[in-house]
Amino acid sequence: MSVPTRTVSPPKNIETTAWKWMRYSGVLLIPLVWIHVLIQDVVVGVHEIDLDYVLQRWSSVLWQTYDILLLGFAFAHGMNGLRQVVNDFIHDPKAQKVAAWVIFVFWLVVTAIGGIAIVAATNERLAGL
Amino acid sequence: MSSFISSLKTTVSGYATYRGREGHLSFVLHRLTGLGTLLFLIIHILDTSTVYFAPELYEEAIALYRSTPFMLGEIALVFAVIFHGINGLRIAYYDLRKPEAWSIGRQRKSVRGTLAISVLLWLPAAFVMFRSLVINNFLGG
Repeated sequence: MSVPTRTVSPPKNIETTAWKWMRYSGVLLIPLVWIHVLIQDVVVGVHEIDLDYVLQRWSSVLWQTYDILLLGFAFAHGMNGLRQVVNDFIHDPKAQKVAAWVIFVFWLVVTAIGGIAIVAATNERLAGL
Repeated sequence: MSSFISSLKTTVSGYATYRGREGHLSFVLHRLTGLGTLLFLIIHILDTSTVYFAPELYEEAIALYRSTPFMLGEIALVFAVIFHGINGLRIAYYDLRKPEAWSIGRQRKSVRGTLAISVLLWLPAAFVMFRSLVINNFLGG
């Protein structure tokens, strides 16, 4: 069953970019997140994970890169999703703008904390050996 | 403020009472699984960061994750991640490749398919995780 359609060209603004971002990053996140969850939660399990386990993983540049990609894509996808949900509840454009900025700053700070930990945790330890 | 409260009321009652069947269900589930996963993700990024910023706190965080309520939550989280992924893939596929197929009849079928695939993928993972929970927390490892 097909429905009548018409072609529209959406405006090239930040909301269109955000709309595309959710879809493309979402598709990429399926292998990234599922492999991460399958390894850490199902195969390894939380009872086998400790400080040494994390440091061992982060001593590999490959896993550091993997976790950086995971942090960058998953958290940005999630925080933009939160912004979209908030916009359903707050309708005043000014308040939406304030909310978007609060979400952006929070995203930046938490991403920086996570990114520094991934990069610096093993580097300093290796330097100390 | 009163306009905010009334728009909030409209949105919340719309979430609860809109009777769009499968489409409504997938919308609400997509939001709940997305927000739930995001909440976990924020905590997860911060607690994992203690590996660098406060290593002595990391063992305490991990001890919390090993508790029975957290492990049950983890099993639910895996369902959220699977459903959100498959339902998101469905949305991305129709939006980017087949927008002409956004018809109610076809979407009802594809939502049911999405739920079925999600449950089928989740069951083996849930089984392994539940077994680990029983072995480690009730049978003494």
